[in-house]
Amino acid sequence: MARYGMIMDTRRCIGCHSCTVACKVNNELPVDMIYNPVYTAGPTGVFPNLHMTFYPLLCMHCENPPCVGCCPTGASRQSEDGIVWVDQMKCIGCKACIQACPYHARHANRETGTVQKCDFCRERVREGLAPFCVATCHQRARVFGDLHSPESPALALLNSAHSVQLLPELGTNPQVYFIVSAGGQE
Amino acid sequence: MIVVSGLADLIFMKGDLFGLGSLVAGIAIAIGSGLLVFELGRPGQFWRVLSAQKAVMTVGAWMLSFTIFASFAYFSFWPGFSPWRKLATLRHLLAAANILLGLGVCLYTGILLGSLRARPFWNTPILPVLFLVSGLSTGVAAQSLLSGKWPIGLAYDRTVGSSLSALDLVLIIFELMILFIYVLMMRFSSTVVAARIAASWLMGWRKWLFWGGLVVFGLLVPGVLCVLPSAPSHGLGQALILVGGLTLRFLVVYSDDRAELPGEGEYYARLPERDAPFLRAWE
Repeated sequence: MARYGMIMDTRRCIGCHSCTVACKVNNELPVDMIYNPVYTAGPTGVFPNLHMTFYPLLCMHCENPPCVGCCPTGASRQSEDGIVWVDQMKCIGCKACIQACPYHARHANRETGTVQKCDFCRERVREGLAPFCVATCHQRARVFGDLHSPESPALALLNSAHSVQLLPELGTNPQVYFIVSAGGQE
Repeated sequence: MIVVSGLADLIFMKGDLFGLGSLVAGIAIAIGSGLLVFELGRPGQFWRVLSAQKAVMTVGAWMLSFTIFASFAYFSFWPGFSPWRKLATLRHLLAAANILLGLGVCLYTGILLGSLRARPFWNTPILPVLFLVSGLSTGVAAQSLLSGKWPIGLAYDRTVGSSLSALDLVLIIFELMILFIYVLMMRFSSTVVAARIAASWLMGWRKWLFWGGLVVFGLLVPGVLCVLPSAPSHGLGQALILVGGLTLRFLVVYSDDRAELPGEGEYYARLPERDAPFLRAWE
């Protein structure tokens, strides 16, 4: 069974925010909703030894998602391939999942009253395409794939360098990994 | 409140003094639940929360529903015109159910907040304990204010009154101890955010609400008033306990900071406000 995940190669990310724009435009998100921000850590250090890292953030589609267990209606679900998504029919907008998510991945839609989040562009993935944010990244900093498949380039990249997960101490086991180059204080 | 009325009925045979409390409790919980439903993104779909999911909130929703029903059912035994007034055994069964449900309602919100790993200040086993003691304390205070008024027109029984004041005092002492353990140990938390919030309660921008609203006027002053002999001072003390309970919940609920991800603060600080003029320029 496939298990989708994403690898962010921060050595390649230049912080152009194209992924943020692609996601927002293609998903027709409301003005104040951003599924895919790109945070800037730094610059740190003293000239000429400066260091800056860009962290593209999105829903981590955790192996142990806190947002699924807390949903009282069963709207927040995780499919077999690991993608966490929200059934808009069942969501009552109680926002328990927003409180439960440590990564600020979930957003309340004021018009519909429900909660929305990144779903790895489920319809595109089912057709074998990559999510919009991955397709648009011209630096190939975002790699999406089946982390259980030995041939997947995502797994190859993950195994080729030291990667970190964000907030690992919370036990969520996020499936979005960040390859961070050594050096600099964050 | 329904814990007190249940206990009073079963153990002390003084249930008739506290009947009104279970009506008020039922009304209060119903109003509170109504506000919760009103606050949902899709209030018309609120019935979906009464599902078979294993979420804490589902359990809480079912429990609140049963509690509202049980409070009103228990109250219905007390008015003079009640057709089942004489069925003492059934009333006692409901009293026992009310005790369990009341304790459950006190604990449930603490467990709900405490289960969220993303919120370091809430994610501690002591939060449900604090909420339990606070719930019992406000319940006793509310029952003291209401007891003996209706539907049984008894004059306020002095021995009952002094017992309740003593119970008030004991619960206040426990609440103070647990509150300080909570905030002080959070000050030493390994999580930066939790330590920062605790510092804001003790010395930072939340200190007026914490020290003034909660510790002094919500706990210490009512504690002293409970010990004084005069009845009006007891009444004031009990009203202040209710205010203190509200202040505690307000402080806790607004301390929901998350561990900050690298660069998160700066990113959102730079985004325009929702009502920025340029966003509406094309409308």
